Amino acid sequence: MAARMSDERTSFVAFARQHVFVTIFGLVLPVVLFLCFIGYPILYTIYLSFFEWNGMTPVKKFVGFANYSYMLGDKYFYISLENNLKWLAVSLAFPVVLGFLIAYAMRARAVYFPTLLRTAIFFPVTMSLVAVGLMFLLILNPIFGAFDSVLRALGLGFMVREWFGDYRVAIYTLAVVGGWAFTGLPMIFYFAGIGDVPKETFDAARIEGAGHLRMMLRVALPQLRPVTAVVVMLTLFESLKAFDLIAVMTKGAPFGRTNVLGYLVYLESFWNSRFGYGATVSVAILVLSIAVAALLLGKVFRGAFDV
Amino acid sequence: MSSPALAASSGRTLVRLRYAAPKILATLFALLLAAIWIGPLALMVVTSIKPNKEFLNGPFALPIAPTLEPYVKVWQGLHFGVLMQNSLLYAVLGSALAVGLALVPAFALSRFEPPGKRYIFALLLTGLMLPQQTVLIPLYDILRWLHLFDTRIGLIIVHGVYGMPSQILILRGFMTTIPRDIEKAAQIEGATDFQIFTKVILPLAVPGIVVGYTLNFIAIWKEFVFALVFLNSESIFPVTVGMLKLNSDRYISAFNLPSAGLVISQIPIVILFIFAYRWISSGNFVGSVKG
Repeated sequence: MAARMSDERTSFVAFARQHVFVTIFGLVLPVVLFLCFIGYPILYTIYLSFFEWNGMTPVKKFVGFANYSYMLGDKYFYISLENNLKWLAVSLAFPVVLGFLIAYAMRARAVYFPTLLRTAIFFPVTMSLVAVGLMFLLILNPIFGAFDSVLRALGLGFMVREWFGDYRVAIYTLAVVGGWAFTGLPMIFYFAGIGDVPKETFDAARIEGAGHLRMMLRVALPQLRPVTAVVVMLTLFESLKAFDLIAVMTKGAPFGRTNVLGYLVYLESFWNSRFGYGATVSVAILVLSIAVAALLLGKVFRGAFDV
Repeated sequence: MSSPALAASSGRTLVRLRYAAPKILATLFALLLAAIWIGPLALMVVTSIKPNKEFLNGPFALPIAPTLEPYVKVWQGLHFGVLMQNSLLYAVLGSALAVGLALVPAFALSRFEPPGKRYIFALLLTGLMLPQQTVLIPLYDILRWLHLFDTRIGLIIVHGVYGMPSQILILRGFMTTIPRDIEKAAQIEGATDFQIFTKVILPLAVPGIVVGYTLNFIAIWKEFVFALVFLNSESIFPVTVGMLKLNSDRYISAFNLPSAGLVISQIPIVILFIFAYRWISSGNFVGSVKG
């Protein structure tokens, strides 16, 4: 190991001597920027999680693992964690599955007007989530909202809920709105992915009499494992990052029931001035994302990235 | 005499219909989906041109006396002129910084095999996937320390650095598709790396640069968390942060004002979307992202 490291170092020096321009601006500069603005902040967050700090005074008080033990007893931490997982579940079930189905239907020419569908579904991906959130605040408004009147017109009036007021429903409302804005992304990834699968593969299956369902499950999905890996990772991080919609639509209400970890960090640090605890929750997000990513890459998508 | 022919032709129609029926059914379903995605947007546009007093006619009542007054009111009330100017500045310069920083690294990773290449890819993916919230506090601290907190330039730098990883991957993907014959010739002539980069690669990479720049522009126009935390003064807010005011009693009492605000905030993106539609929605950039 050590020999290999030093080997790499000497060969790097040789490379750097030969390609000065490329080394400085192509390798050293981005790595330095990365370390200053991304690497150092990550380490600093971990460091700060062992302190109590109000963000103003220069003095930070070392408290050991106190923030961590506080977090493990914090009701809002668990609510937020649960909400992130619910968000992830909704995102995997709705935008990812729907995105795949639409992409398949378009590639298999199973629908007319595929371009219209693709454009409609993709456009919200380019919208800011602040705009999306405001829009659905209006549409889901309990008195003047359009959604409830559509439900009533369809005779589904019994399904009308307090979409943001009912604490059991609110987080799903938010996640579904997030899914509405996100569906275009998995769709585009699968659309490109299916386009890369050799046509003969599908033709062979068709000659053997495979229907659409078998074509999707037996032919498309196995071929698309690398795409699925990327899509699932994107969805995972999108779910852990959830913030904008909550900040716009509910601010965690009712009773903190729609808090997610990302919003909890913001609340604790920048509103409650508990930067140490905010950093601790950040570390939890970090650990969670690394753990789930490692699990997915190690077990579910083993080898999916080896191209 | 004609009846067998008629039967045959109607039989053929039936057969054709039997093959078309599933497709028609699927299309109906697809149109329903399209309506779910277009409906809310169309509704906002319609609502935004209704005068106040028509608001109570219900969400689906068409405007009787359409007016642009909500646009005027919301433009002045929120100082949309300033907000748009700020967002434009952040998106234009932030994307330029991100692409500028990414060009040589993309060249390095597409044309050379530097030792430790895989570590650089690992760093890039980390930068790409990292939830922003985990670095908010330290970045806030760094920006204050550099006296860049609550300044335009501070936010532009953050956007530039955080846009860099995805830009490196996009540009690298594009540069690997540039054939090597031309630079081989240049190498034989004794051209340096720098000359190959500026004279051969850069001109050929222009389409890739345009794609990367556009994607970054949209990303910064949408961005919310960094701007919310790193800016304090209303005069330098981007659209996303300034728009939050629409969710207040003053504006949300009649839906036409927030709807007009929403439409205004998306106009630059709609324009970009129309121009860039062909390659954005074909997913051509996807290949470069997945590396």
